[in-house]
Amino acid sequence: MGKLLKLRIDGQDVQAPAGTNLIDAAEMAGVHIPNLCYLKGMKGIGACRMCLVEVEGLKAPVIACNTRVKQDMVVHTRTERVQEIRRFVIDLILSMHPLDCVTCTKSGVCNLQEYAYEFGLRESSFSRKKFTYPVDDGNPFVKRDPAYCILCGRCVRVCKEQGTNVLDFMGRGIESKVITANDMPLHESGCTFCGSCVDVCPVSALREADREQKGREWEFSRYESVCMLCGCGCDITVSIKGDMIQKINAGNRAPSTEQKFICAYGRFGYEHVDGGKRILAPMVRKGGRLQEVSMKDALEDLAGRLKKAGKNAGFISTASILNEDALSLQRFAEEVVKTPNIDSTASLYARPEEFQKSQKAKMDKADLIVLVGINPSQWTRVLPALDVAVRRRLSRKGRLITINSQETGLADLAELNLSGDEIQAIQGIIKSVPDHGIKVDQSLMKHVQEASTDKNMQQAAEIFAGSSSPLIISDPAFFDAASSLAGIKGHAIAMPLESNAHGVVRMGLKTRGASIQDMAAIEHGLVQRGKSTVKLLYAVGDVPLSKKPDGVDFLVVQSSSLTGLAGEADMVLPAATYLESSGSMVDYLGELKTMEQTIEPRGASKTHRDIFIQLAKNMGVTLKKPPFSEIKKAAGSQAGPSMADMSRKEGFQETPESYLQALNAPVLETSRLLWLKESGLV
Amino acid sequence: MSTENYVEEKPKKLKEIRKEAEERACPVQQMEYFIDEFLAKPMCGKCYPCALGAGEAQIRVASLASRGAEVDGRDLDLLRRIGDNMVRGSLCKRGKDTGNFILELLENSRDEIMEHVHADRSCPTRECKSLVRYEIVPELCTMCGECKKACSYNSIMGETRKPYFTGYQPFEIRLKRCTGCGECVDVCPEGAIVFKSRSRKEANSQDTGGLNG
Repeated sequence: MGKLLKLRIDGQDVQAPAGTNLIDAAEMAGVHIPNLCYLKGMKGIGACRMCLVEVEGLKAPVIACNTRVKQDMVVHTRTERVQEIRRFVIDLILSMHPLDCVTCTKSGVCNLQEYAYEFGLRESSFSRKKFTYPVDDGNPFVKRDPAYCILCGRCVRVCKEQGTNVLDFMGRGIESKVITANDMPLHESGCTFCGSCVDVCPVSALREADREQKGREWEFSRYESVCMLCGCGCDITVSIKGDMIQKINAGNRAPSTEQKFICAYGRFGYEHVDGGKRILAPMVRKGGRLQEVSMKDALEDLAGRLKKAGKNAGFISTASILNEDALSLQRFAEEVVKTPNIDSTASLYARPEEFQKSQKAKMDKADLIVLVGINPSQWTRVLPALDVAVRRRLSRKGRLITINSQETGLADLAELNLSGDEIQAIQGIIKSVPDHGIKVDQSLMKHVQEASTDKNMQQAAEIFAGSSSPLIISDPAFFDAASSLAGIKGHAIAMPLESNAHGVVRMGLKTRGASIQDMAAIEHGLVQRGKSTVKLLYAVGDVPLSKKPDGVDFLVVQSSSLTGLAGEADMVLPAATYLESSGSMVDYLGELKTMEQTIEPRGASKTHRDIFIQLAKNMGVTLKKPPFSEIKKAAGSQAGPSMADMSRKEGFQETPESYLQALNAPVLETSRLLWLKESGLV
Repeated sequence: MSTENYVEEKPKKLKEIRKEAEERACPVQQMEYFIDEFLAKPMCGKCYPCALGAGEAQIRVASLASRGAEVDGRDLDLLRRIGDNMVRGSLCKRGKDTGNFILELLENSRDEIMEHVHADRSCPTRECKSLVRYEIVPELCTMCGECKKACSYNSIMGETRKPYFTGYQPFEIRLKRCTGCGECVDVCPEGAIVFKSRSRKEANSQDTGGLNG
C-alpha cells in the first residue's frame, strides 16, 4: 500500500493508494468501469478496450485497467467517445454469441448481458457469425462450450498463472478459440478440475457441468464459509437454493486479491452432505448390529457411561472441526467428564505446540518463500491451494527456495533447490547468514556451530539476507529449525494437513493426558496395533482410523459419515458437517476466519458443540456455547518461537497423499469426485 | 484475444500492403485486398476493436464485391463505423492504420463504391469479377455454341445452329448463374459477348444510398 492519492472520477472525489489502477479506484467510489478481460490482482492486458476512459489533459482515451492513479487526475468514464467504442465492441461480440439469455445459466451475472442491456442492444447490427465447435462435456465437473466464448482470455490467464497451464488460444481474431493441448477434451488434458476458469468466465463458455436448471443466479442465497477438507482452509462462497447446495465458488466478498482458488474437492465435494454414507440418526449396537435410536435415548445412555468412566474416558478428534466445537469438546472433557485424556489427529503428524508457535503472516506481503520439507501439488492433490498460492506469488513478485530431501514439484520454479537433509540445510543457511551483513543472535549461533555449509546454502543465505520479508512454510517436523531461521527475519508457518489444526490446538485440543497414539493404539502412521489406555473412547469428526482399538469397551463415534471407525462403533452420533455449522477456524497463515451456516443439518444431526452441551446437561452440568470473544482470544494466543534443539520430529510414517485420502475418503466416495478416483485422476 | 504473437516469417508491413492494394483501381478491391492481407499476417489479435472489427469488415467488403450478397447503404455505414472505432479504440498503430485506410477509401472513392451498392450493381473498373455482367449482342451471335461449351456454370442458354435449319434464337446469358468469369468472352469467335453496363442516366435516377447519410 502506497500513500493515498486524490483524484476525481466522474465528478466524485476518490482517494486511492498509489499503484492502484483506475478500475479498482473507480470501484472504491462506486463507479463501475465496464471491462471484459480485466482480472483483479492481475496485470491488465487491455484487450477488450471496454475500460477505455478519458483523462483530462490527455488527447486519446486510456485503458483504465493498466493506468495507475495519479494525484489530481480527473477521469471521465462515460463520455460519448468511449461509450461508442464500448457499444461497438459489445455489438461485435453479440454478432458471434448465441443470444439465448432466456435459458442461459449465466443470465443475471453475465457481463456481456449487463453491457448489452446498458446499451440497449437486442441483437447485433453486424453479420451473424456462427461457429460449430463441439461442447466438451466429458467430465462431471467443468463444461466447456466454445460457442459462448467471447475470447477475453481470462481462463487462459488464470490457468497459466496458477501453473495448471491447460488452456491456451489457437488462432487469432474472430476465428481464435480457447483450446487444450491438441484440442483434447479436458479430462485428457492434465486438467485438475479446480474450476478456476469457471469462476472467471464472464459468460457461459465455462460452467459447472451440472449448472443447467439448478436455478437462476438471483434465486441463490449466498453464504461465506471455509473449505475444511485440507490444511489450506480456502475461502468459499456457497450458493443455496431450497436448502440444497447448488454450487460453490472460490473466495468471499472480502476485497483481497490473494487466495481465490479452490480445488476440485472444495468446489465439487459438497454432495457428500447428502451422500450415501451420511449418518442421519444416532445408532447403538444391539446384537452386533447398529440400530437407530432416538437422540434423547442415545445421549442419556452415553451421559451415564461417561459419568461412570471418568478418567478412563478418552477423546480423540480430527483437526478439521471448528473452533467452537473444539473449545466445547475441551471444556466438556475437562470440566464435565473430568478426564485429561484428550487429543487431536494433528498430534499424529506434528507436536501440537508447533502449531501454536506458528506465526501469523500474509502471503501477498512475502518477497521470498522458503518451503521446507513440504511438497504441495495440485496434481497429487496435496495442499493444492498452497501450490497455487506460491505459484501465483512467484508470477507477480517474489522468489522461492525449496528445501526438501525428496523431490518437489515446485522445485522447478525455485531459484534454488536444496536437496538433502532439511535440518542440516537450515543450519547451514543460518550459519552463513552473518557473512551477508545480517546480525544473528549469539544464542542461535551456538546451535549451528557444528553445522557445515556448502555453496548452495551460502547462496540461499545470500538470497535470504537480501529479502525484506521472507515467509518460511515448513512441515511441522522441521518447524523448530524453520522458526529459528525466521527468528533472524520474517515469519515461520507450520503447515498442517488438516484445515483447523492451528485452531484446535489453540483451543486447547492437544495432548494432555494420554495421547491419540495411546488412546487409539496407533503404532505408526495410521496402523493400529496393541492395546488402548482408555476404556471409553469418544471419537469426534471423521477420524481416519478403521479399527476399534483393543481394550476399549465402548467406542462412541460422533461424525457425519459412516467411516471405517464408525462401522465398528458401539454408538454413533450424527454430527453436522462444516457446511452445516457456523463458527470459525484458523487457517495455516494464522488468520481467524468466520464461517456462516449454509444449510440445515441433515436428519437428526447436530453440531458437535450442541451435542456436548446436551450431554453436559444430561450429566447435570451447564456448559455454555463459547462466545466469539473467547474464541478470538484463544485463537490469538501465540507461543514464542523456540530455538531449542533443531531436530527432526519422527514418528508419522503416512505420506501426506495417503493421509489426506483417508481423511477425505467419505467426501471422495460419496460425491462426483468418485469419478476422479474411477478415472485414475486422484 | 491471443496473447502470443506467432512470428514465423516476418509479416508484411502495412505500408507494403497499402502499396500493393493501391495497384488495384477499384476501391472495393483495394479495401478487400488490404483487409485480407492484414488479417492474414500483421494483425496480432490482441484487442477487440481491431481483431473483431477487421473480421467483420472483411465479411462486409466481400459482400460488396460479390453478386450473390444483398447489400445496401447500411453496409457502408457499418464499414464507416468499424473504421471509426478501429481508429479510436485499437491497441496499436496497425489497427488504427487499417481503420484509416477504410475511412479514406469510403471518403475519397464514394461514387465508385456506390456503384457496387446500387440496385443494378456493377463495378466501374470491372475488377470485381463477380459484379461484371456480360450480355450477348443478338445481331452478332451466330449461334455456333462455342460459348455454351466453354461455360463451366451452365449459364448460357440457346440451341446450336445446324446449317440446314432456320428459326434459331440468338444465345442468351442467364445472369443468375453467371459468375462473370469471362471464359465465354475469350472463346467467342464473333466478339458478340460484351459487358453489360448501366447507362449513366439510369444510375442517376437511383437513390444514392448511405454514403450521403
